[in-house]
Amino acid sequence: MAVTQAIFYLFATVLVVAALMVITARNPVHSVLFLVLSFVNGAGLFLLAGAEFLAFTLILVYVGAVMVLFLFVLMMLDINLQRMREGFLNYLPLGAVIAFVLVVEMGAMLAAGGSGAVVGGDGALGGTEAGNTTLLGRVLYDTYLLPFEVAALVLLVALVAAIALTLRHRPDVKKQDPGQQVRVRREDRVRLVDMPTEGAPYAPDTGATGSKGGEG
Amino acid sequence: MISLGHYLVLGAILFAIGVMGIFLNRKNVITLLMAIELILLAVNLNFVAFSQHLDSLAGQVFVFFILTVAAAEAAVGLAILVLFFRNRRSIDVDDINYLKG
Amino acid sequence: MTFGTPEMLAVLPELVVMGMALGLLVLDLYLRPDQRGITFALAVATLAVAAVLAAVLVPGEARTLLNGQFLHDRLGAVLKVFLLGGTALALIYGRRPLQRLAMYRGELFILMLLASAGMMLMASAGTLLMAYLGLELMSLSLYTMIAMDRDSIPATEGAVKYFLLGSLASGILLYGLSLVFGASGSLALDEIAAHAARAGVSDPLLVLGGVFVAIGLAFKLGAVPFHMWIPDVYHGSPSPVTVVLASTSKLAAFALLMRLLVGGLGPMAEQWQVIAGALAVLSLVVGNVVAIAQTAIKRMLAYSAIAHVGFLLIGLASAPTSGYMAPVLYMLLYTLMGAAAFGIVSMLDRDEAPARTIDDFAGLSRTHPWTAFLMLILMFALAGVPPTGGFMAKLYVFQAAVEADLVWLAVFGVLMAVIGAFYYLRVVKAMYFDPPERTLGPVGDRVAQGAVSVNALAVLGLGILPGPLVELSLFAVAGI
Repeated sequence: MAVTQAIFYLFATVLVVAALMVITARNPVHSVLFLVLSFVNGAGLFLLAGAEFLAFTLILVYVGAVMVLFLFVLMMLDINLQRMREGFLNYLPLGAVIAFVLVVEMGAMLAAGGSGAVVGGDGALGGTEAGNTTLLGRVLYDTYLLPFEVAALVLLVALVAAIALTLRHRPDVKKQDPGQQVRVRREDRVRLVDMPTEGAPYAPDTGATGSKGGEG
Repeated sequence: MISLGHYLVLGAILFAIGVMGIFLNRKNVITLLMAIELILLAVNLNFVAFSQHLDSLAGQVFVFFILTVAAAEAAVGLAILVLFFRNRRSIDVDDINYLKG
Repeated sequence: MTFGTPEMLAVLPELVVMGMALGLLVLDLYLRPDQRGITFALAVATLAVAAVLAAVLVPGEARTLLNGQFLHDRLGAVLKVFLLGGTALALIYGRRPLQRLAMYRGELFILMLLASAGMMLMASAGTLLMAYLGLELMSLSLYTMIAMDRDSIPATEGAVKYFLLGSLASGILLYGLSLVFGASGSLALDEIAAHAARAGVSDPLLVLGGVFVAIGLAFKLGAVPFHMWIPDVYHGSPSPVTVVLASTSKLAAFALLMRLLVGGLGPMAEQWQVIAGALAVLSLVVGNVVAIAQTAIKRMLAYSAIAHVGFLLIGLASAPTSGYMAPVLYMLLYTLMGAAAFGIVSMLDRDEAPARTIDDFAGLSRTHPWTAFLMLILMFALAGVPPTGGFMAKLYVFQAAVEADLVWLAVFGVLMAVIGAFYYLRVVKAMYFDPPERTLGPVGDRVAQGAVSVNALAVLGLGILPGPLVELSLFAVAGI
């Protein structure tokens, strides 16, 4: 039990420190990296609370995709780091006081409401016959089918949004359309014209350089 | 013994840090987005802790969906931010001042 | 989980909208730009069909389906008809403005349909999970639609602000939902209500959760002191989308409030009375007073929206005693008024000179007499002048307040309404008593003109004969 406790406090401490660094870091790239650290520790806490699938999903999806997206966008935007970080200290005392009061209040209420329960260790939700993932999977497609479909629509909205908002067709860029190229017919490209010849036929021994009519 | 209270207080601290980050941050819209992600992490911790405490999968399922929505939200938010940046050439919070009011 | 015919009939409106959104996504790819009208017409038709289905398939009594995720009841049906109708109107009014803004794209119609689907799911939420998912589906679609006017600084700025504050609100709401789940042990709203009835105020987790849920909802509705996003977002966003923001998305937020606070935490309603009253007073004061100083028409209407939420809150504060008919009636009428008012504003926009300030309305009675008359009705309705529908809505709300022994609140509301009339009448004065300063172009296309006429005349008609709408509201809240 002591080991579990130690691990919990380790993860929790690093998590809180990393979260504070997220909002106070001078460089936004550092903020993102500290957020990644927070999520990894959060995943550790999930593991302690018996949510194995969610812990790994957090790392794979959240850290692996969303945070990387943040970093990409951050790199893409040309940020002027000089102008950052002014004015933070003006608000800090007030903010810290508010936050402290908030935490004390909530802590008191929450500690009163949630004592006596044991969290941590054996992943009891998984049971012994089926793991956490299996149980989640079973219930996701059965009990929670409607939310599942709606979540799919939410992802569709994100997809449509990302493209509709940021895709621009540059008018001066020429592209190839292979489908169109393949559909080309000979009749559209080549036209055989019957024309009478003009002037004398070409006589090679005269060495004339000018062209005198002919096929065209 | 790690009780439910431990997790909930941790969640509350993270939530407070996130809210503090929103109100204290004056420089960078991306940091605002990250503060919102911290708030969502706090919520996820709450749900997972309650799920274990109540021996119910419902909390974990909710976290599953929150992860999905948070990813979608990040995508949409960053797309909007990119648009804003293209127009204003800055992601400074103080530069979101064109509309007065 | 059972998914037989009864279940399918219950979710048929949602299925139609969601299915058509997917279908239009594919169909739109094969259409040339000049054929975009087909997608538009299909989108509007889908909303109309879904509204009819929702009205026809209204259940006799409330029941939850699909493992408790979907709540099929009368309130949901009534709200859905108005949600779908309002969005259809927004599309119809917005046709010309969208073309002018280069936003007349398939993606916009699809996002409108998905936003409507989200709203419908919010109105039928049976669990905390569905409430959250419906909310996010609607919100993400709205953020995107505002930003689709991508070359405009006001629009993208409005989108950024709406996104940031909206996500913050969702986060706070979600934190509250997590505590409510923890306190009651279930995501299902009826089980939460049972727990609230048993434990009520003595459960600290439940109370704390309820507070955060209320804060999140106040953000979404735009009640003071969480109203800061409304003026900027309404003003900056492209007018066709503002119609949706002001009318249907507010109605959807109200639907969420009914499901979460009334359906879920209803047994604790008495505790909310004082808070609701305080928020009502703040919203009325801020909304009315600041609106007076506004010259930009959309910003003025935005502050008026904040004031209207104040009136709604008076109705909600009185609801535990007097029933929920008054707030529902108020919101239904406000949806109609808001859609028409913002619709006319959006239609009067023109390429070089959008109708942005009150001065742009000067002399409208001479250049566009019929439109000026419709605007007159709407201004009177928003102000609460008889015999328009707005007056009836306020009357019922004040009546409910008096019945609930909140006479001071009713008196304060009347006072605020009188003060507020000033800025509405200023528009009327500009239209009828000032010489025309600029010529605004023709008002939208014929269909839009017809639709807004019907809309505004309905507002007038419901003021003269409020009976049907009152009956409808009573029908909706029977059993709550």
